[in-house]
Amino acid sequence: MRIASKLGAIGALSALLLSGAAYAQDKITIGFLPGVVDPFYQVMELGVMAAAADLGLKVVTQIPPTWGVEVQTPILDAMVARGDIDYLIIAPTDKDQMVTPLQLAMESGIQVITVDTFLGNGDYANGPVTFPISAIGSDNTEGGRISARGLAKAIGGKGSVYINSTNPNVSSVEARAVGFNEVMDNEFPDITVVGLDFNLDDMNTAVQQTAATIERVPDLAGVFGTNVFSAQGAGTAVVNAGLGGAVHVVAYDATQFAIEQLREGVVSLVLAQKPYDMGYMAVQFAVADASGVTSLPAQVETGFAIIDIDNVDDPEVARFIYQVPN
Amino acid sequence: MTDGATKNIKEPGKNASKTILLSLMQVWAWVFLACLVLAFIVAVPLVSGSSVSFLSVRNSQNILVAITPVLLLGLGQTFVIISGGIDLSVGWVMSFASVISALALRGAFNAGLPLPLAVLAGLAMAVVGCGMIGLFNGVIIAKLKVPPFIVTLGTSFIVRGMALLMSENTTVIGLPRGVRNYGNESMMYYVRGDGGGFYFFQKPELTVELLRRMDRIITYPVLMTALVVAVAIYALKRTKFGRYTYAIGGNEVAAVRAGVPVERHIIKLYVLSSVTAGIAGFLSMLRFTAGSAVIGDPLLLSSIAAVIIGGVSLFGGSGTVVGTVIGALIIAVLTTGLVMLNVPSFWQFIVVGAVVILAVLIDQTRDIIKNKIGSS
Repeated sequence: MRIASKLGAIGALSALLLSGAAYAQDKITIGFLPGVVDPFYQVMELGVMAAAADLGLKVVTQIPPTWGVEVQTPILDAMVARGDIDYLIIAPTDKDQMVTPLQLAMESGIQVITVDTFLGNGDYANGPVTFPISAIGSDNTEGGRISARGLAKAIGGKGSVYINSTNPNVSSVEARAVGFNEVMDNEFPDITVVGLDFNLDDMNTAVQQTAATIERVPDLAGVFGTNVFSAQGAGTAVVNAGLGGAVHVVAYDATQFAIEQLREGVVSLVLAQKPYDMGYMAVQFAVADASGVTSLPAQVETGFAIIDIDNVDDPEVARFIYQVPN
Repeated sequence: MTDGATKNIKEPGKNASKTILLSLMQVWAWVFLACLVLAFIVAVPLVSGSSVSFLSVRNSQNILVAITPVLLLGLGQTFVIISGGIDLSVGWVMSFASVISALALRGAFNAGLPLPLAVLAGLAMAVVGCGMIGLFNGVIIAKLKVPPFIVTLGTSFIVRGMALLMSENTTVIGLPRGVRNYGNESMMYYVRGDGGGFYFFQKPELTVELLRRMDRIITYPVLMTALVVAVAIYALKRTKFGRYTYAIGGNEVAAVRAGVPVERHIIKLYVLSSVTAGIAGFLSMLRFTAGSAVIGDPLLLSSIAAVIIGGVSLFGGSGTVVGTVIGALIIAVLTTGLVMLNVPSFWQFIVVGAVVILAVLIDQTRDIIKNKIGSS
């Protein structure tokens, strides 16, 4: 479906002209700029597109091929230069570095809503950055805590655990590690966190780092993968070492791959975020703001679905597995 | 681009058509860029609605801002490749510069220096720190005769590790607020429409409504890049430094015999390459008001692509700075234009890849024709 719509954008000029005329003048146009190509943001895009279809809005979507401010910013600037975008839904690739480019976008008349990741400390009411309308995303610190308790339970409350993360200074994964460490420190005195590595959004690096940690810490009991790349890499390393089931993995993000590994017993717990909700809600917020609603919350937590081997086939839970159309 | 070769064409009547073809092939990158811009000017309003225009002041400035890092990385690279070498470390040297210049700027400011001096301290740190890396590259390549591909590959890893360690695993923040002005403001502003006009030297105090229609013309990073480009054009075209660079790339043995201080010159070229990458890192630090150990990671291959599209031969001996500017422009115009068309920007990779191969094919064909004219 997605590919078809993109091909349509390239080829069918005439159809686009017709549909272009159909957009009412007073309807807002949404820009959607996620962080990188991955299943999480693809599901978010589905939410954005669904809301836009329901509300009859036009969306301009651009997905950066790699994570980073030097990739995201030129795309952002080009979206601003279009001049037709009223609201931008963005996952900032750095909580500090993206402040200035987005402030400049706002000065040009574009309202900003952040999804998943945020700017500053994410508190747009009282924090250091206040210009975005709202930060819609998971409470990642809480997600880290849930992951820690899940992993602690799986390994029986004692032993060594390891965290594999993606990039420094990205609000989402940073908070997950903070929440994870907090619970391990306060609630599980017999569990030691033996390390935190950054794979810089490269799954191969994640595999290697986890494999090395397995070598370094012979009694390693568990790994926390803080996002898609980390969790998949960690799971792969554990399987490669023949330790599936012996070293437990908690996976942030419910990709198909993570679910497969859950069924194989490598992954003990999968924390599903709700990217579809984030995308859908962000569009609704934009429309509400454009219509004069002033009491939109500056921070919205979309919650989690906790998936384990017992509930993975329950349709109520399974619908939160990231379903990416082929 | 073609110092000696064009002199051979002394009988225009005989080879008129070939000569025309030849000159067309010399400017093909210009023609391609012009066609690209024209195509976007026509297609963007058709596809995205009449309110969206590719031909706007805002967009032209965006493109200039977007090319600065790629262009600066490609600039030193142009000299290095003309001399027959290659510098694979520039992307990571840029990241390194972003980190050390942010640390120096923050340190200088916290020590009580006024902001302009602190910014200068950041620049000095970027230039000197990266110059040392270039010196390291150059000495090993020129004196110890290790292939540049290997040396700069190794350096890129070393520098990447140093940048990540020095930034303490994170983005270097806590820079004074005024830094963002150096990285994003300009000396000239233009406000579109009613109540608008030009403003000079200082950001005008405007209502929110007018602010939306304000464009920054030639931001400071663009200005600084333009100055560096101008110096580079002059150096390559008009100075002994430039002649040595072509001579070494054309035939290193002959250059030695002709008395060119080849080793010294090669060292200088790698210093130059690291320094322009360092300036790129410094400017990006200003622009994003923070240093980042990963900022230059995605840019190396784009910068080499810009150099190749610009007509620099990987075998050395030929190429121009202006060509590299055109190459960088083609890449930036593609990114911006595709976003304005709302086509996935991934298409730019396919087009850039095709253009890189086309560039080399055209170069080779040109050489063949040139030789034929020369021998007839």
